[in-house]
Amino acid sequence: MSLPLSPDLVTHLNDAVGRDHVITDPNRLFVYESDGLTQYRVAPRAVVLPATTDELAAVVSLLHGERIPVVPRGSGTGLSGGALPSEDAVVVGTARMNRILAIDSENRLARVQPGVVNGRLTEAAQPHGLYYAPDPSSQSTCTLGGNVAENSGGPHCLKYGVTGRYVTGLTVVLADGEVVRLGGAGRMPDGALDLVGLFVGSEGCFGIAAEIEVRLLPVSEGVRTLLGIFDSMEDAGRAVTAIIAAGMLPAALEIVDQATIRAVEASVYAAGYPVDAGAALVIEFDGTEAGLDADAAQAEKCCREAGARDVQHAVDEAHRAALWKGRKKAFGAMGRIAPDLLVQDATVPRTRLPDVLAGVADIGRRYGLEIANVFHAGDGNLHPNIIFDRHDPDQLARVEKASKEIMALCVDAGGTITGEHGVGVDKRQYMHLVHGPRELAAMAEVKAAFDPDGLFNPGKVLPAVESDGVGPTGVSRGTKVGGARAETEPSAEQVAERGTAARPADTVEVVEMVMDAGRQGHCVVPIGTGRHLDRAIDEERCLVLSTEQVAGIEIYEPADLTLTARAGTPLRELAETLAPHDQWLPFDPPDVGGRTLGGLVASGLSGPLGCGYGALRNHVLGATVVCGDGRELRLGGRVVKNVAGFDLLRPVVGSRGSLAVVTSVCVRLFPVPQVDRVLVARAASTAGLVEAARAVACAPLLPASTVLAVGASGLDGGAALLVRLHGARATVDADQATLERVAGRAFDALEGGEARGFTEVVRDHPSAAGVGCLAVFPSRLGEALGTLDATLGAVPLVADAYEGRIRFGFDADAVLRLGELRRLVEASGGSLGFERAPSGTHTEIEAARTPLDPRASALAERVRKVFDPGGTFSPMRAASVLSGGER
Amino acid sequence: MSGTAVTAGLTTAIAEQKDRLLPCVHCGFCLPACPTYNRLGDEADSPRGRLHLMQAVVEGRLDPASDAFRTHIDRCLGCRACEPVCPSGVEYGILLEYARETSAAANPPDLLTRALLAVMGSAPARAFFFLGGRLLRGTGIAAAATRVLPGRGVLGSARLGLAMLASSTPWRAGSGRGTRVGADAAAGADTPATSSARVGMLSGCVQQGLYGRVNEATRRVLRANGFEVVEVRGQDCCGALHAHAGALEGARALARRNIDAFERAGVELVVVNAAGCGASMKEYGTLLEHDDLYADRARLFSETVRDVTELLAAAGPRAGAEVACRVAYDHPCHLLHAQGIRDAPLRVLAAVPGVDVHVVENADECCGGAGIYGITHPDLGGRIGGDKVRAVSAVDPDAVTTPNPGCMMQIAAGLRLEGSSAGAVHPVELLDESYRRAGYYRA
Repeated sequence: MSLPLSPDLVTHLNDAVGRDHVITDPNRLFVYESDGLTQYRVAPRAVVLPATTDELAAVVSLLHGERIPVVPRGSGTGLSGGALPSEDAVVVGTARMNRILAIDSENRLARVQPGVVNGRLTEAAQPHGLYYAPDPSSQSTCTLGGNVAENSGGPHCLKYGVTGRYVTGLTVVLADGEVVRLGGAGRMPDGALDLVGLFVGSEGCFGIAAEIEVRLLPVSEGVRTLLGIFDSMEDAGRAVTAIIAAGMLPAALEIVDQATIRAVEASVYAAGYPVDAGAALVIEFDGTEAGLDADAAQAEKCCREAGARDVQHAVDEAHRAALWKGRKKAFGAMGRIAPDLLVQDATVPRTRLPDVLAGVADIGRRYGLEIANVFHAGDGNLHPNIIFDRHDPDQLARVEKASKEIMALCVDAGGTITGEHGVGVDKRQYMHLVHGPRELAAMAEVKAAFDPDGLFNPGKVLPAVESDGVGPTGVSRGTKVGGARAETEPSAEQVAERGTAARPADTVEVVEMVMDAGRQGHCVVPIGTGRHLDRAIDEERCLVLSTEQVAGIEIYEPADLTLTARAGTPLRELAETLAPHDQWLPFDPPDVGGRTLGGLVASGLSGPLGCGYGALRNHVLGATVVCGDGRELRLGGRVVKNVAGFDLLRPVVGSRGSLAVVTSVCVRLFPVPQVDRVLVARAASTAGLVEAARAVACAPLLPASTVLAVGASGLDGGAALLVRLHGARATVDADQATLERVAGRAFDALEGGEARGFTEVVRDHPSAAGVGCLAVFPSRLGEALGTLDATLGAVPLVADAYEGRIRFGFDADAVLRLGELRRLVEASGGSLGFERAPSGTHTEIEAARTPLDPRASALAERVRKVFDPGGTFSPMRAASVLSGGER
Repeated sequence: MSGTAVTAGLTTAIAEQKDRLLPCVHCGFCLPACPTYNRLGDEADSPRGRLHLMQAVVEGRLDPASDAFRTHIDRCLGCRACEPVCPSGVEYGILLEYARETSAAANPPDLLTRALLAVMGSAPARAFFFLGGRLLRGTGIAAAATRVLPGRGVLGSARLGLAMLASSTPWRAGSGRGTRVGADAAAGADTPATSSARVGMLSGCVQQGLYGRVNEATRRVLRANGFEVVEVRGQDCCGALHAHAGALEGARALARRNIDAFERAGVELVVVNAAGCGASMKEYGTLLEHDDLYADRARLFSETVRDVTELLAAAGPRAGAEVACRVAYDHPCHLLHAQGIRDAPLRVLAAVPGVDVHVVENADECCGGAGIYGITHPDLGGRIGGDKVRAVSAVDPDAVTTPNPGCMMQIAAGLRLEGSSAGAVHPVELLDESYRRAGYYRA
């Protein structure tokens, strides 16, 4: 039985939020005893429902004062028990924090309170021609705060990605009631760790998001939905493989198996799927109307060739809903026939789905359980649903055992224990299957960086005892070296004395060198090729550690659209490997070809292609890193959907070697587009092009990239607007026509070598002694260019019109005017940062940089310490102007 | 009866329904559909929370006499917006009635509710009550009183009650601005009457007492569309108010009386022009499922019940003459959520040339009428009603139209108290006026 709160505390809580919103009556509290997972039930001591950020902070602070644990709760729809209270805890619900604070259609951003229901945001954005992409199946009821906590996915994340891709900023309340702003539009992400990405998916263990800023997307012009009916699961699987191999990227690829079809057809939700079918496959394409019929026809061909007995095309919205019905109503239908339903969740590499499904069926047979499968076939995310009766202890025990075997099966296949439901309380016991003790310890330390007293959602995500049950697959290899071996190898000091970079051959040597350097008090500067490190190294005190020798592709399964390679693998080599399979990495930061994979990850730079493909950080699926004290951590995995534990990978991406040495990386790949077209408009200056750039950025389609360039070679001192369109020819033609219409002008269209040459020139531009970077709201691009011109005069620059980022070149003479530039940019909500400083101007440049939020910096520092407790990677490096390290 | 015996007896009402509670898998899809949860944010005021409380009573973990059970079960509007969004098909409306029966036995409801149910359950008392009501309305006393009574406290409740009464006065198209009397009387007369079904109409309690004109309009309109409308003697109040209050035995008695009466009249279909009554009568089969004599008859009876708009829309209503006016349409919960009827009333309105229909924002959400919710829950009822009045006012209509007397009164009262001159009208009244202008009734 939970202990009542002290009368004083209740009084203070009443004062903070109003007595109607503090629930302490035990008869009312058991309404909150579970979330969407009802196997676990514990009533909290109280429930408090604040309505504003201030109220929330006050409540959390009051609870912190008495060291009372806090369990955050949105709509309580989670399926892993993430919002399960504990007897000593108080539930802080966000139901009253349900206001949409702003929809900024010009910048395609929304700012919301955490209690806003996912579907409501899309409803509110729709009049602007926009929508919020992540669409978990519970989107009509789940809250965006809950989505942030769980890093929720949905049926359409195959093409569009999960929640983390869309969250651009957060205002979070930490355990002591402190309010910290992380990220946000117009803020310079460079130099700061990606704390937003780290917070997303933290399952309420780090704090509560009090305000969320998300990116919205333009509503697709058209949609095509097909339903393929197959005699067997194998046939359906072959159809999916064929669709992916054909280079198509459907918005959704969903399969229901025979058991599910039968359950649905026997229920009130009968969708008209034939009950003797082995599998049904729902395929959906969206995008520019012109290309969709071709996609649909090709997908049908793939289905037919794989042996589909029937393929239907939705003729209207009602028909589309009907085709989806058997998929969408699966859980409800099973809920009706079953006393209890366990909705399992795991992800495997897509190509392993057939084996894994056979294995799941076998497990079901062995334990005498009916298991029906519904899954996101495109990203390998399975939902085996087990029907049972919780009042039957024997059956309950069999469900437990079967679940555990299913998890082990998925992990052995290279997958993970949860793709989108989270770990919560239900899957803590399986965390050992995917993470070793070191990774789990690091996760616990990162939690402590946010929540030192362990008051936020205790007993979730991390297993109770970290040392027991070490699994066979996830344990980091014992690479903590020392003693004899370390002494026989060249010391870091020797390397440093020689003034040359150390080039370890493998991870083991990286560990040794990092540890040696640490012992000797030297700082380690990790580099890839080193071509993007333009600062002087104090050779007396620094070990420059190049991972160039730690190279080579480890796993490449083209049909999975993922690749694992060692960090030193040059991107140029990678591209050569991928090309025969018509796959690529869609990132274009300056000199991308001259970088290594590890260097790219450390830089965190996506280039302007982030517009059409999403930023690099969304596509780094896993990495092996060596921390400052020599710990080797395996972060993430090699599946596209993975929410097994805190996402320690996110702060590593873009940390510029300040957290750890990256030694191996798994990335998501993309099919090479059929057509890569560059639309070009030229003018004497940007003045004539900003309006067109803005028109393109506000057009009802998403180009691959939209860039303004000034002073690049080939422009004769003038300016150009470059819009890159990727897709099928019909799509690209139609998109070009749309853009010409909205921009009110014609473009020159380039393709092939000519297009490539031009984009490369612009990509590597500007090359000046100093390179600065402005982050502004995209709607203020023109204003920012004007400010730049007014303060520095005509400078070479490249502006990403979608992101609102301007990279500009300057020389030492301009340094004195940077303070004025910073003042003006900050006054209009932007920020100023630097990639490169002209020699001898470092102090001035440092002063001209928009400072990081001190509270966010302090938090980042605590996170950094988890990776690099001894400061081996010189903690100031990433935050300093010289941090351009891996660029 | 001793308190313990009462408690033991009562648990059974909801306990007997445990198979109906079972399908709830606690998914939470109902939360955003619930007007009380949306405003209060407490899950105990959500459908899932209330089902959880019911389950707790069934499991013996919660005393049905507890303040928690009574308050949260009472606070439900009974709008059933949670039902269509439930993936597991939980029959929330029925469960609520049993929960209220359990709660009412543990804590007898307030005097006002009990008195109202007693009046509605008895034809003579009802006749007297509504005569009084019509007098207050007709003399203008009700309207005058709303202008002098304070907005809060007991007198505030009285003010709302009187505003509802005053607002049940007829609204006539033509009194609004910009209205042109239909010039071309025969414009829509080309649709021949197609149906020849023999139907009996529920007169109802509130409907007959305060909206007799809607009943008359219903008869005329149905006849103009070819239906044979027969008088059904011996019919009574449908029992919905009783069932919603958990007085299920009272509701069953009324249901049996109605089944007897309509069977005797030998009608093919039972037509209802009050959404709340129709919803209730479509569920007689469930209400009487354990009645040996009536179970089968009730089920068959329920299958013959039609809302008047449903019947007219299916027949493809004859178009009438122009009635130019701007109306705000709001869905009655017991039509939309309980009966699943969304388009039929709009199709009826479409048969009236000149009517400019605007479905109000959030028309799917309850207006806060819910019987006498505004009086029993003045604060929350006021908030919900206020939101609806704002949504209606945003349309700036001549009148609000919605096919349920409770909603008509609730919204019109809210508009009146806000100083709006917009009236309330049943869609069938507009069709009736259109037919009158078209001359269909001259023969």
